[in-house]
Amino acid sequence: MDNREDIERYKTGKDLVNQFSVVLRTAHIHDPDNIAVMSVIDKFVSIVNFFIAHERVISLELRGEYFYINDYRIRYSLEYLLNFDFLLREFKKRELGSLVFKDKITAEEVKVLVRALLLSSFAESSFDAIEEKMAHARNISVGRLQKVVEDSSLEPRKMVKKTYFNAVSYTKGVINRIKSGEKVNIKKAKRIIENMVDHILEEEQLLLGMTAIKDYDEYTYHHSVNVSIFSIALGQRVGLNRKTLTELGMVALFHDIGKMDIPNEILNKPSNFSDSEWDIIRRHPIWGVKTMLKLKKLDPLTIKSAIVSFEHHMNYDHSGYPRVRKDLKLDFYSKIVCLADQYDAMTSSRVYSRVPLAPDKALSIMMERSNTQLDPLLMKFFVNMVGVFPIGTLVMLSTKELGLVCESNHVFPTRPRVLIIIDEKGNKVKGHVVDLTEKNEQELYLRSILKTMDPNKYRINLAEYLL
Amino acid sequence: MSEELNKAKEIVQSFLKSKKIVRMYPSNNPIYINTVEDDLKKFREFFYFRDELIFQIKQNEILYDSEAVYINLEKEDNLALFFFKDGLREINFKKGLTVVEIEDFLKIISLDFNRDALDDDVVTMFWERDFQNIHYVADDTILSDEDNYEETAVASVKEKEPQQDSLMKAYEDAFREEMVHDISIVPLSDKDLQLLMQEYERDAEDKTDKLLDILFEMIYLQQSKADLEDMGGFFVSAIEYSIGHGDIQLVTDVLSRFKKILDDRNEEDERKKLARKILSIAGDESIVGLLGEILDSGQEMEEKIFEDFVRFLDKNALVPFMKILGDLKSIQGRKIVIDALILLGTKDIATLSKGLTDSRWYVVRNIIYILRKIGDKRAVDYLLKTVRHGDIRVKKEVIRALGELGGAGVLQTLRDCLEDPEIQVRSAAVRALGSMISEAPKRIIINKIAEKNFREKSFEEKKEYFEALCHWKDEEVFTFVVGIIKKKTFFRRTKNDENRACAAYSLGLLGNKEGLAVLNKYRSEGNKLMQEFVFSAIKRLEHGQ
Repeated sequence: MDNREDIERYKTGKDLVNQFSVVLRTAHIHDPDNIAVMSVIDKFVSIVNFFIAHERVISLELRGEYFYINDYRIRYSLEYLLNFDFLLREFKKRELGSLVFKDKITAEEVKVLVRALLLSSFAESSFDAIEEKMAHARNISVGRLQKVVEDSSLEPRKMVKKTYFNAVSYTKGVINRIKSGEKVNIKKAKRIIENMVDHILEEEQLLLGMTAIKDYDEYTYHHSVNVSIFSIALGQRVGLNRKTLTELGMVALFHDIGKMDIPNEILNKPSNFSDSEWDIIRRHPIWGVKTMLKLKKLDPLTIKSAIVSFEHHMNYDHSGYPRVRKDLKLDFYSKIVCLADQYDAMTSSRVYSRVPLAPDKALSIMMERSNTQLDPLLMKFFVNMVGVFPIGTLVMLSTKELGLVCESNHVFPTRPRVLIIIDEKGNKVKGHVVDLTEKNEQELYLRSILKTMDPNKYRINLAEYLL
Repeated sequence: MSEELNKAKEIVQSFLKSKKIVRMYPSNNPIYINTVEDDLKKFREFFYFRDELIFQIKQNEILYDSEAVYINLEKEDNLALFFFKDGLREINFKKGLTVVEIEDFLKIISLDFNRDALDDDVVTMFWERDFQNIHYVADDTILSDEDNYEETAVASVKEKEPQQDSLMKAYEDAFREEMVHDISIVPLSDKDLQLLMQEYERDAEDKTDKLLDILFEMIYLQQSKADLEDMGGFFVSAIEYSIGHGDIQLVTDVLSRFKKILDDRNEEDERKKLARKILSIAGDESIVGLLGEILDSGQEMEEKIFEDFVRFLDKNALVPFMKILGDLKSIQGRKIVIDALILLGTKDIATLSKGLTDSRWYVVRNIIYILRKIGDKRAVDYLLKTVRHGDIRVKKEVIRALGELGGAGVLQTLRDCLEDPEIQVRSAAVRALGSMISEAPKRIIINKIAEKNFREKSFEEKKEYFEALCHWKDEEVFTFVVGIIKKKTFFRRTKNDENRACAAYSLGLLGNKEGLAVLNKYRSEGNKLMQEFVFSAIKRLEHGQ
């Protein structure tokens, strides 16, 4: 934000989105002529007209998962999260892409808009019905929701891949450097994490998709990056700002740094660990603190990294390790990283645990651990983030097609995007993505998930499909 | 086109000048303000032609529309290289550019990334600032540690092709699998968000105390002696960091915890050893030096908190504290250090007394003050050597200290000082004698007043003598003073009247009501000075004023 005026505009932008959501929510309960609706409409009108006084025309547009006001993206903030989500669903449900307000609008005009939106639920095509009703409105016009063109995702996907592998390569380099006593470049880590934060904010699903591929040879490095990605994504859901997300991503990236002190013969042991080997493994949080504190001069980032390194296995109920004497209240970041760490570890193939759990199975185990090992509140956000069917879940559709979930849908969690790998005739196919929110002329869903299966049981190589 | 190009060139040239000004002047300086505004003006002139200005960055060149607008082959002070080395390849200024954005842009490019040992590079600075009207393109290939890492990793993971049969088997099995149950995601409520908000706010607090809690936990989790030894360095870093941030209370808490370990009979020797080490290191030159920086920074420091911290320090902290005493510029800071030295000095008078040889007079004077406040008679030997100090301010302080401390050798030195050519030294010596409250100094003062040439002294000096004498409120002094008042001379009467006025003044100070009868006799004395002092002495005796 540039100055006080911009800050004000930004805040008012959030207020505008929030207030419109409040208007619709209230109108769902009361008739638009009701005093309760009228009073929230009046407030909305005053916000819009405040904007119009400065900008003349105001366009509220939905692009992907975000609202834009006159091309400024309105960032989610915690206090408005629920209302933003509600409005997002309302827009999507009605295929409404934009609302344009010009000159000074009146409460009467907004009332017409609200009625148009409410009545559109009964129409064959919601958007057409809204457009028809608004055709005579002088100062408010509507635009159809633009579908994301499939090909346009090609470039972001490449960039996301590049960022992901840069991160893994950097992590590998850092660990090797620390082992050989060389200096570590933290500036690079920040740049990498900043890229990841940008991708989470713009193409969250693509970056999350990268974490679903678990067959890499270098588990440790991929795991660190995956935990960082999940942590940033969860942090974004809970409303952390970009700078804080970078900090969270950094501490998550280094959470397992203490593992480099575990002898390779233990770390790479293909069979189960003995008690004494477990004792050694359980020391990695302590070694992590030491490594972090030796890495660079003490600053807030080093301190937070050391704390997360120490606490990420302690568990919400302190049942984990290390066992401590004083009642340490777990750090907010530690609880986030703990969730991300458990999920990625459970869904990954590790040396000592060759067969990973299917994503949905891992999630259900984690839900059982909610309120004991895991923070129940953050767990709620985590489940909302990864969806009922996380990316990488093998699913059988109602059309008898077999597919892999490649993108969650946080508005309709049970209706992700699915990459079909076997068609309805039982033929192996490649690369065809379907959106489970698609409906036919009778407004019935074209496809639904009937069954979920474990892709690991059938050695399905996610990389072949998702990379 | 050529005009556009010229404008672009002017803007780059202007950056070079502006970044120096931004570095040099505070933001409220008119030169600074004008510079930023001039830059905005130049941009506006450019935006008359185009809506955006895109600079391509090469190693030694900045290009506009493929034309070089800046070339510099040197490594030093090379704007192109400054951007290029961190991967910046393009900077795009949009028409909506504001003065605040330009100012922030200039602030970033005026940073000395090498010297300031920053954790951020220029791209991170741009990213964090999140400009609305300055966009950039950065090359991220510099971020990868290995060439072709992506290609190798992807190829290796893709090699693990599934068998066609297993995929078909999955398809066949799918028909036999159980149907998914109706899964619903628990919706997030307002209460969830509120709770999370509270947690988030708590998390924004400084975490050094948490780190220290963890370090204390870790000393109980260490398995070997070497592991435990390692811990010392981490504690020292955390202590230095806390002091650097002015959190002395936190450091005091740490020292207190170590003191408990040290005093606990059941603690292991190795942990006690660590505790002893930390308590000793806390007074090291590096840590005390940091304290000095904080004290000089103008940051508020609660004296009580500082005092609590100093109480945990060892005598080895004396020298570092004496060092910063001389270096500090802030008066408040020096006062706090002096108080610290009063506490620490009791542990080693000899070391503290070494400060008396400091070349800076004010340090010597402070050390004398500290020794006086400590009140340890062992300091007298060191102080006596300082009486001959070249600076009169030091001399005065040491005489005062000697007077308060007393002891062997002091009396003779003070007597000698009464003959000093400097009146300030002589007066200080008189006051010092007065503060000694024993027979010998009283005798010296009485004898001195009784000397024939006493009346030749200045009135102020005489007054000092009588004031000093009033510390002994006994019969002898009373009689002596009354004798002086009554004394009349034919010659040098004015000088004698000064003596009598001082004596009248001291009768008032002595507080003996019997003096009233004497004083009343001289109420209407012809000498104005005498009359004035008699009158005020009567007033004091009658009304206790």
